[in-house]
Amino acid sequence: MIPLASSVPHTLPFVGPGTYLIFGIVLAPVYLMLVAWFLGEPSDRQSALLGVGYVAGLTTAIWGGLFVVTMIIKFAFF
Amino acid sequence: MSADVSGVSREVLVRPIQSRSKGYLLALAASLGAIGVWVFFYTQQLEHGMIVTSLADWGSGGGVPWGLYIGAFIWWVGIAHGGIILSAAVRLIGLDTYQPVARMAELLTIAALTCAGLFILIHVGRPDRLVTSVLPAWPTRVQWSPLMWDVTVITAYFVLTATYLMLTIRYDVYRLRDQLPDVLEPVYKALMIGYTEKEDAVVERMVWWVAFAIIIMAPLLLHGGVIPWLFALLPSMAGWSGGVQGPSFLSIALTSAVSGIIIIAAAFRWAYDWEELIPDVVFRGLAKWLGFFSLLFLWLQLQQVMTGIFAAPTTLQHATEVKLSTPVYWVAIGLVGLTLAYVFASALKPALFSIPALVVASFAVLVGTLVEKTLFVVEGLQHAHFQLYDGVPGAYVPSAVELSALLGTAGIAVLFFLVVSKVIPVVELHAIEADHEEVNQ
Repeated sequence: MIPLASSVPHTLPFVGPGTYLIFGIVLAPVYLMLVAWFLGEPSDRQSALLGVGYVAGLTTAIWGGLFVVTMIIKFAFF
Repeated sequence: MSADVSGVSREVLVRPIQSRSKGYLLALAASLGAIGVWVFFYTQQLEHGMIVTSLADWGSGGGVPWGLYIGAFIWWVGIAHGGIILSAAVRLIGLDTYQPVARMAELLTIAALTCAGLFILIHVGRPDRLVTSVLPAWPTRVQWSPLMWDVTVITAYFVLTATYLMLTIRYDVYRLRDQLPDVLEPVYKALMIGYTEKEDAVVERMVWWVAFAIIIMAPLLLHGGVIPWLFALLPSMAGWSGGVQGPSFLSIALTSAVSGIIIIAAAFRWAYDWEELIPDVVFRGLAKWLGFFSLLFLWLQLQQVMTGIFAAPTTLQHATEVKLSTPVYWVAIGLVGLTLAYVFASALKPALFSIPALVVASFAVLVGTLVEKTLFVVEGLQHAHFQLYDGVPGAYVPSAVELSALLGTAGIAVLFFLVVSKVIPVVELHAIEADHEEVNQ
């Protein structure tokens, strides 16, 4: 059998350097920010949720928007 | 010395929103013209493929598949940095002198990041590749690929900056609503969802934490982290690898970012007679930062040159010697060096200081940093440890298609400011409020 790039010996494990680097180190200030929005004084649940809504909504808007454009390209040209 | 602009009226603050001028229309036409030129060339690229650039396959120009597009991407992300860092510094460590330019700096971050993202979008060829390559692969590839790290962190950075702006704008829109155009009522309503005056103190604290997250993530982990790691982690490219790239990239980012803020602030001050709102002391302060970051830039170049020519590994020595014999490298160093000399001279003899001269110096820095970064990308590829690209004929020179993208993105940044300045105040209301109390953490 010809070894393909997707076959088991050629597939990288799920956990790699990016797992620790991105989710452990680079995004740590963001986790801290999110926690601080809900805890400490003065804080209020509604404003914190508004902030979370902005973060989640903007992320979705960026990649969701690009996804919609991609679908338009797909159906218009291919 | 700090800038006290608390006596400035609200009418002055909203002047860009309420005024109409031929100059505005001219700037609008110029920015749309620049974008039009780029759209014309980009259409050629979409129709015929990357071969119309000098970046196709192994590099249709001397084996360089990465060139001005990637150089300009790094450059725009760099410009994006200073903006929000300066704004975050105003909030975190009380650099109140710069409060009049803080929001312009935030807006510059959003405009510049958009332009940076656009360079990646056009560099992947078919624009739908950005989604088809990134989204399905992200969950597994982000664990391993520096390219995915970049996509992730730049998205996070953009989202944090936009969140910061959207949270802070509510305070201003609520208080200035009577002076804002009625035709944009739906926009303001969307921005003000759920607003009550009671939230001000809470939101002020929330944006302090956004600023905290940004000031750690953006300089240390993005432009001093995942972006230089796209290059520094590749030992096969002698000119790219090594730990010095992180600080070096960061110094270039900060230098070009301060230049960008100076140009934008000077343009608004000139266009709207904002001498009282953005006084000279703001520019004198920015000039000192520009000088300091220019010095860091030159110092880190010296580090790279010394470690590259004194008993360096053969390929690194070769790459460094080629860099030093490239005239345009010295143009880049010279432009930053001259800026440093001007800032130093105007600090010694204040009469030498003028805002137009500082703007010229800022443009010089922007040209110098773009040249240096593009050269870094191109020469890194040309002088690898292996001989893969040696058989590819020709030499890399940016094509008209690539250069038009640079013009187009500059047009987009200008257009962004022209449009946004008609919708929201580009200077925070806090800047002219004497009784505003900072939230102390």
